[in-house]
Amino acid sequence: MKRLLAVTLGILTAIGGFVDIGDLVTNALVGARFGMRLAWVVVVGVIGICLYAEMSGRVVAMSGRPVFDLIRERLGRRTGLFALVASFLVTLLTLIAEIGGVALAFELASGVNYLLWMPLAALAVWLVVWRVKFSHLETAFGLVGLLLIIFAVALWKLGPDWGELMHQATSPGPIGHESWMTYAYYAIALFGAAMTPYEVFFFSSGGVEEKWGRKDLGTERSNVFIGFPLGGLLSLAIAGCAAVLYLPAGIKVDTLGQVALPTAVAFGKLGLAIVLLGVFAATFGAALETSLSCGYTIAQYFGWQWGKFVRPRQASRFHLVIVICLALSILVLLTAVDPVKVTEYSVVFAAMALPLTYLPILIIANDPDYLGKATNGRVLNFFALIYLGLLLLASIAAIPLMILTKAGQ
Amino acid sequence: MAGRVLHAQLHLLDRQLIDYGSGALLGKVDDVELDLTSEIPVVAALISGHQRIPAADIAEIDTAVKITPYDLNLTKGDDWVEEHIIGKIPGAGHETD
Repeated sequence: MKRLLAVTLGILTAIGGFVDIGDLVTNALVGARFGMRLAWVVVVGVIGICLYAEMSGRVVAMSGRPVFDLIRERLGRRTGLFALVASFLVTLLTLIAEIGGVALAFELASGVNYLLWMPLAALAVWLVVWRVKFSHLETAFGLVGLLLIIFAVALWKLGPDWGELMHQATSPGPIGHESWMTYAYYAIALFGAAMTPYEVFFFSSGGVEEKWGRKDLGTERSNVFIGFPLGGLLSLAIAGCAAVLYLPAGIKVDTLGQVALPTAVAFGKLGLAIVLLGVFAATFGAALETSLSCGYTIAQYFGWQWGKFVRPRQASRFHLVIVICLALSILVLLTAVDPVKVTEYSVVFAAMALPLTYLPILIIANDPDYLGKATNGRVLNFFALIYLGLLLLASIAAIPLMILTKAGQ
Repeated sequence: MAGRVLHAQLHLLDRQLIDYGSGALLGKVDDVELDLTSEIPVVAALISGHQRIPAADIAEIDTAVKITPYDLNLTKGDDWVEEHIIGKIPGAGHETD
């Protein structure tokens, strides 16, 4: 049982990181517009995040140093600061989207406008960060987030033409009036949603919070290789549901309600209740991860005391950063900006910021000073370098494609 | 540390400073002060923010630099925030584990 619970860090990272508001929205949106024709990106993304998270988890277990500590160490103060600003802004943008997502889930459940729920959501996130033990929060939200499996069951219940879905998945490319440009833009969005940098900041800092050592390499790996593929499977199920329900009807997805609707079609009110609970747990979990990650990145860059393994007063600047970020989220959302739109932008910016944080980890994962005998093998480095190329490509192409397609219009 | 050759930029700069006794995180090595008067330049002190940490205070150099800061206060920033903001919120001193 303890072994089982030890995997919950991976599940929470995956549910909160993989199936957060970004993935819920992007996968449903892409499924409705392209069917399963971008499913390969999810697979590429899952393998990428597994590689990246496994390297950073291994570095933590062997050296006790979390990701952003090392980013500054390898990039130096100036380039490190650039990486910090980029990663921090993306993480803050994601936090805003997640708080909006929690509030939207409550709006769907209650009918009360999300703007009223939003300050409560932010306050609840802060209370959990302030008071609840790290291991408790990862277990609770990881397990409740598993309810999102209902998307997979719903897809089954909807009785789709599996042959047609397979055909879509194996014939990449745009359809109908869609252009290659929008296809590529959404490929980058899906890739960014899968490999959002905060997943790794949270995962590696979580390893320190859990006091991982050499003997925990097994736990670290099972976390990665169970958690993220599970998240990927859920992503595909969400896209599949949208492909079955919306693509033939030509309906565009631009609300969270539309993302959840397929489960209501399959299972009625019960389905809707389950999916809303799952969405709440996933977005709330991701809000915890992103708010903590805002604190982790800044504190680790400057060398401040951080973490929930000490009393809050002992890590006062770390907690102050989190309070400020949550307050900023409330202010931004109060301008009535659409959280779904914030989400769509955040995943593309995530793709842009990734190479800066990926490269230092790849270098350290090859450094025996940190890892002893547990450095990357040749095969791993081969794939890790391919992904470095992919990340650079996505990062460079993101902005031009965003401008040319008017953000996927 | 006698006889161990370290690359100042690789092994010292931008490394995490940790209190050898308590394990508290104290800051980053922002700069290194070299003593050029001796035949081979040796590290005289580490600089973190405006604080100078004499080489004698260094206890261990590994993936982080562990020090015993006898009469230095490296956590002024944290202390100020604790005293004026975070310490005033109920529950700031509760155990998390």
